[in-house]
Amino acid sequence: MTGKDILLKALRSEPVDRIPWLPFVGVHGGSLIGVDAEAYLKNADHIVAGLTEAVDRYRPDGIPVVFDLQLEAEILGCQLAWARETPPSVASHPLGEDYDLESLPTFSTDKGRMPLVLDAVRRAKEAFGDEVALYGLLTGPLTLALHLRGDDVLLDMFDEEEAVPQLLDFCADIGIRMADAFIEAGADVIAVVDPMISQIGPDHFSDWIAPALNKVFDHIREKGALSSLFVCGNATRNLEAMAKTSCDNISVDENVSMPELARVARAAGKSFGGNLQLTVVLLLGDQQDARRDAARCLDEAGEGNGFVLAPGCDLPYSVKPENLSAVAELVRDPYQLEIARKLPPKDTSDTFEDITIPDYDSEKAVIVDVVTLDSAGCAPCAYMVKAAREAGRVFDQPVEIREHKITGRDGLGYMNKLGVSAIPSICVDGKEQFASIIPGRDELVTSLRNAAAGKQ
Amino acid sequence: MDETLQQLTAAIKAGKRKDAIASTQAALDAGTDPQTILNALTEGMDDVGRRFKANEIFVPEVLVAARAMQKSMDLLEPVLLASGIQPEHCVVIGTVEGDLHDIGKNLVSMMLKGANFKIVDLGTNVAPDAFIEAVEANKPAIVALSALLTTTMPAMKETVALLKEKGVSARVIVGGAPVTREFSDQIGADGYSADAASAVELARQLCA
Repeated sequence: MTGKDILLKALRSEPVDRIPWLPFVGVHGGSLIGVDAEAYLKNADHIVAGLTEAVDRYRPDGIPVVFDLQLEAEILGCQLAWARETPPSVASHPLGEDYDLESLPTFSTDKGRMPLVLDAVRRAKEAFGDEVALYGLLTGPLTLALHLRGDDVLLDMFDEEEAVPQLLDFCADIGIRMADAFIEAGADVIAVVDPMISQIGPDHFSDWIAPALNKVFDHIREKGALSSLFVCGNATRNLEAMAKTSCDNISVDENVSMPELARVARAAGKSFGGNLQLTVVLLLGDQQDARRDAARCLDEAGEGNGFVLAPGCDLPYSVKPENLSAVAELVRDPYQLEIARKLPPKDTSDTFEDITIPDYDSEKAVIVDVVTLDSAGCAPCAYMVKAAREAGRVFDQPVEIREHKITGRDGLGYMNKLGVSAIPSICVDGKEQFASIIPGRDELVTSLRNAAAGKQ
Repeated sequence: MDETLQQLTAAIKAGKRKDAIASTQAALDAGTDPQTILNALTEGMDDVGRRFKANEIFVPEVLVAARAMQKSMDLLEPVLLASGIQPEHCVVIGTVEGDLHDIGKNLVSMMLKGANFKIVDLGTNVAPDAFIEAVEANKPAIVALSALLTTTMPAMKETVALLKEKGVSARVIVGGAPVTREFSDQIGADGYSADAASAVELARQLCA
């Protein structure tokens, strides 16, 4: 079964053998190939190259082709302000003065940047569309209405009771045309991304936004594709109402409690996704943070079907690739997940004063610390320890091999003090030399020899 | 409190701008002390903030309340100025570089204004240097940074770092949809608030 199959099954709330992984690579694709966000989002070659790189590195089960909520707005006459590391922002609102929908440029997916986006979808489909599900992202009706009219839409909900639903319905029709174009180009899943939903209450959502959303979702279903409702921001209060819409899946960010989402979505028969922490973990944290947070998501999603592991929202441009690779590994390797569950919390103030590590320079023997989950219970750990012991046996100078298990304080203390980046790990005289990947004997012996030479 | 002022407070709470204008004008015509009128406004906005924080009302409801408050302030401000009544503390506020979103920032501005802070609003897409200039020009007690995009949160980090590096004495507070307390702590901000109402409480605490 391909990753794409796994993801599509999960989206339909069917049982799967492992949790599918959906990294929201947007402008981050540009950083992977060394171009800025503007160059990236204006060029199909760049987008395809960025996606190809992301697919190689992150082994996703699904991926959005482009994450830019300004595509429709641009075609409809909003001016865009471009930036190096973010998608563009809307800088002018063509309906700012009044609700003259007739005054807007005629919408067509042949206009603006849509031809290059659709070209990218077709080429991505050709390149890896059999293994990886492609997401076509469109701007949800409320967010598009705000692009066109400005913040006044929110005030107009009190004063303009006819104009607002008309505008939202217009935006839903744009969404339908976007969905059609994406599906025709080869997208498997259509995500309606409407972050502004996090700013309104459930009554406004149900009365004003849900009808527009349902129009889009029902259309996507008729076309035979799957739909997802993405809301970045704190949408907790709207979860119940969101679950009443006709989408197949709900995806949220770190502001929403995952157990709560899991409960509400499953009760409504919907699949759900999220909510790796974007900045604190994926952008600013390290691989251990990423693994820990992925384990948190998986555990909080709980027993049952329908969970998709994804970042909370569009990945930052400079997100650390190694953090995403760590998540990609973890979803395929139950043993990595076990380790992540054992990791001490990030904010621990524990400095492990009670665990003393040797003064390596003054020791006669070369000391090899193998930090493991537990070599008795985990195969990679056992091989790592075995590799160290074998290298120790053939090495012609004094050497000591010690295993430290992170199931106890000793292992956690060594992990902390030696700055171990992955489990299992081999440290030679206090320096991490082989993290996660088991070294060949010659390689390890060379490392021992270098350490011994350093002592003389 | 007299009936006109009660009407004013009620108009702010319900976001009724026409009622707010009428009752403010009536109070001024009756020669009510402008500070007392301001207090009635603040009371209304405090209630709005409380309900916003308690998830009883949401951004649209706060925006209409703030719009009503602004209509009242348009009438009241000249009288306050003439009476020499000035806000005690100043807040410099802006959305960080690369981010053009202003709803959250405007909400915080309006709530702070409703709580009688002087607001210097630098707008959106504000470069770190522009914050420094505004701090030097206005000597605020607080610098408030907003970001809506996760992708602009690094700009928030840079801005805080520059303010700290320059030894700015104002306290730096941060907020915005994707911003968390954890992130705020990591970037060394002096305060974080999850919503506009809490931003008022935070500002009051930091100025106390």
